[in-house]
Amino acid sequence: MVFWGWGRSFSGGCCALGGSQSLNSPVYFPDPSLEPHAMFSEQAAATAQGLLAPPSAEPPTFPRVAVSGYSDCSQPFQLGERSFARQYSHIYAVRLAGMRPGLERRARSRWGNDVVLRRLSELHEGEKCCVVGTLFKSMQLQPSILQEISEEHNLVPQPPLPKYIQPSDELMLEDELQRIKLEGAIDVQRLVTGTIVAVYGCEQDDGGFLVEDHCFADLPPPLPWSGPSSDRYVLLASGLGLGSVSGEALLSTQLLVDVVTGQLGAEGEQSCAAHITRVILAGNLLSQNTQSRDTINKAKYLTKKTQAASVEAVKMLDEILLQLCTSVPVDVMPGEFDPTNYTLPQQPLHRCMLPLASAYATLRLVTNPYQASLDGVRFLGTSGQNISDIFKYSSMDDYLEILEWTLLAGHISPTAPDTLGCYPFYKSDPFILTECPHVYFCGNAPHFQSKLLQGKEGQRVLLVTVPDFSATQTACLVNLRDLSCQPITFSSFGADSEDGDMELEH
Amino acid sequence: MADELYLENIDEFVTDHNRVVTYKWLSYTLGVHVNQAKQMLYDYVERKRKENSGAQLHVTYLVAGNLLQNGHFCHKVAVVREDKLEAMKSKLSTIASVHVYSIQKALLKDSSPLYNTDYDIVKTNLQHCSKFSAIRCAAAVPRTPPDTPRVPEPAQSPQRQRDPNATVNGHGFQAAKPPPQQHKGIMGMFAAKAAARAQDTPKEAKAEAKEASGVSAANSKPPTKNTIMNNFFGKAAMNKLKANSVPEQPKEEKEVVNPSVAVAEPESSPNTVAEKPGKKTESDRIQQKDKKSKTKRADRSDDEERDPENVKKKRKRIKQLLSDSSDEEADVPPSPTPEEERVPSPPPEPALKTELEPASTEVSAGGKKRKRKRVLKSRMFIDEEEGCMVTEKVYESESCTDSEDEFPKPKAPTPQKQPMLPTKRQPKEERKNPKKGAAPASRANKQVSIMGFCQKK
Repeated sequence: MVFWGWGRSFSGGCCALGGSQSLNSPVYFPDPSLEPHAMFSEQAAATAQGLLAPPSAEPPTFPRVAVSGYSDCSQPFQLGERSFARQYSHIYAVRLAGMRPGLERRARSRWGNDVVLRRLSELHEGEKCCVVGTLFKSMQLQPSILQEISEEHNLVPQPPLPKYIQPSDELMLEDELQRIKLEGAIDVQRLVTGTIVAVYGCEQDDGGFLVEDHCFADLPPPLPWSGPSSDRYVLLASGLGLGSVSGEALLSTQLLVDVVTGQLGAEGEQSCAAHITRVILAGNLLSQNTQSRDTINKAKYLTKKTQAASVEAVKMLDEILLQLCTSVPVDVMPGEFDPTNYTLPQQPLHRCMLPLASAYATLRLVTNPYQASLDGVRFLGTSGQNISDIFKYSSMDDYLEILEWTLLAGHISPTAPDTLGCYPFYKSDPFILTECPHVYFCGNAPHFQSKLLQGKEGQRVLLVTVPDFSATQTACLVNLRDLSCQPITFSSFGADSEDGDMELEH
Repeated sequence: MADELYLENIDEFVTDHNRVVTYKWLSYTLGVHVNQAKQMLYDYVERKRKENSGAQLHVTYLVAGNLLQNGHFCHKVAVVREDKLEAMKSKLSTIASVHVYSIQKALLKDSSPLYNTDYDIVKTNLQHCSKFSAIRCAAAVPRTPPDTPRVPEPAQSPQRQRDPNATVNGHGFQAAKPPPQQHKGIMGMFAAKAAARAQDTPKEAKAEAKEASGVSAANSKPPTKNTIMNNFFGKAAMNKLKANSVPEQPKEEKEVVNPSVAVAEPESSPNTVAEKPGKKTESDRIQQKDKKSKTKRADRSDDEERDPENVKKKRKRIKQLLSDSSDEEADVPPSPTPEEERVPSPPPEPALKTELEPASTEVSAGGKKRKRKRVLKSRMFIDEEEGCMVTEKVYESESCTDSEDEFPKPKAPTPQKQPMLPTKRQPKEERKNPKKGAAPASRANKQVSIMGFCQKK
């Protein structure tokens, strides 16, 4: 029997406690090894076959576990009046200004209290010092709209590539006034533009900076833990992909709704499902197929009578949400293909699109990224655009690795606004991580992965990459009591063989 | 015996109707808890198999449990055919639940019939989709509805007998009054220009009662021509509408191009709502419907029926709406006038009104006398085909049913409009069961309108 306690990480086979960790860390949380890990519906096994019987007397109805504490902490991501009259340089300026103190602290703790902190304008050649600045990676393959429309180059528009990295990429460090090229012990391929970093080294005579060591902001300070003492689950799902051409995932979506609303399953499972206190849909509720812009490409007389594909899809979404909302609180985050604004932070979907479901108070339309405190457990997550954008411009391949890296870099989405659309903030950068969440997730990942990260200062974070439901038919159940996560998969039978995929996964 | 009744029901569904009976479908149909439905299905299968009656039954099961996958346990929920049940159960390390998912006569190749069955039954029961579920959520209460204009509602509620039908839901009541509601909805969409017209249209729609088809045809024509109308209606509405007379088309085309449709809608919706005083959900639905695609509207209206006596009531209501809370049958002179003076009236309306009138006169069996006053009014509208604005001086008859008789401003070439009017009017009037007053009056008006035509340029 494989032991798979809550501390197990499922990515790349690395050890259970990942990231920066210390065995001497003060324990804020109940020791997991002392308590048995309760799997979802483990105790249901007893009555599993109970419904294979003639009808019995009045069957039980289970009350949904009430939400004891909920507070929405996504105010920084909610934009009121929006003005695009400003340049994007301001966001970099506030980002650097906001993260500089933390990085200087980290630099001192890492390289000694007497490390010399210099600005780029104060550098002396050959002097070992530490500089804090913003990284800029110049990539040859980075799509540039100016190049594309430039006539002298006569370039064909570049097709989208999975990754834009090349060995010839260069890394620069910029601070408020100057920039300098970085060389040395720094992984150019791995890092992305927009990261705030502290580098330790000295200036070369050729004008470059030779890096001996570098560090990031590391995990933000921990939040006190006040999670529930009994099993409570939160269902994380993303990428429902409604409105797609294929209907395979539809039954799986219906099964998901039925499990959560307590229609499916024997009594034991239904009573376990009653412990699901919340459902968070992390983006891409609509499929990419609904994004076709025929109106742009085709002649008007051809598109006159057509209705946007997203209309039908949103209606379907409304019905699904209605079924969920009559039974469980739901938080709906918009994603890349959803009808809301493109730039981060994405604003909540408008409730007029979901007339049936928004009649219920259990429906909450929230921003992307989304931060909230559920029953004392702080959740922070995105619909995945930040992670997939870093994926494109970094050598990191694993979504969980990238997710962890953003946490260690102290910023949710460093590549915004360079390659990911972002609102031109100028007062403060809301993507800077100031507190360490308990659950940090990203949606629309290729597969499910989860990892429990322990920090030096007692932080404990559950990292979850929520898979794309339309592709994997998998969602995640997070147990708030012990920050464990279990995937839940749905399947039905199709014309093709359905029982072969099980063995292939090993 | 009550216990066995469900067995007979299932037998009927599976064998006679050849249905795919899922547990959810059975639960909604028989009104039982989902777990009971699952048990009923199981019981039926067992008994049928024991009987060996020869009828082949195919059963699908739901299996859920923990599965070791990729080195970690994942909870798997699967719908499997009977022949794969044991295989699936053996794969799972612990089984959390097994129960019957569905019964059907035919062997299913894939699970889409299961999905479709569930989808249909849920769609028809959206308002109480968690009624038979095993989990109750205390927090799931509807929000207090937004402010809806329900002013006409209380005053007119006692008179509305169409209340059941008017409910917007379409799901709840399949009571058949599709055409009138459809018109109401469609007309509501059209109506934008004048609030009164918006009100008039629904009333007229209602007044139509049976003749709805004719009017709906009129309504349908424009959608085919007009993109905007297409957007409003969606496919379902368009399918229901049938093209009718040519003159009506052009009018309808014109009216679509108005931004105030939204205005019209809320106005028509209160009318709809008015019919059902006490039903909050319905008004919510109406609000929702206003926001939702018009297809729903059409659907809803298709679902509703008019009964004859409503025609009279409609008249009353129309009047009331016009006069905003007067119950009299007398003319409502002041209200239509200002209403009509408002922006260009959508062309279809006159056409519709024309159609409506014969209907209402027929139906009312001469009950009410409509006093009509002819008022010369200047009417301006945008002729889409020609791309110009056209001003007409037309006599509008004001009566309790609220004007009409601006006979179609057909999409025919503008210059011909006036001269054509007389000719058009006549066929139209012949079509209508002529109100005696109407024909001579219109004929009399023709000359005046021709004069108007000469003067206007």
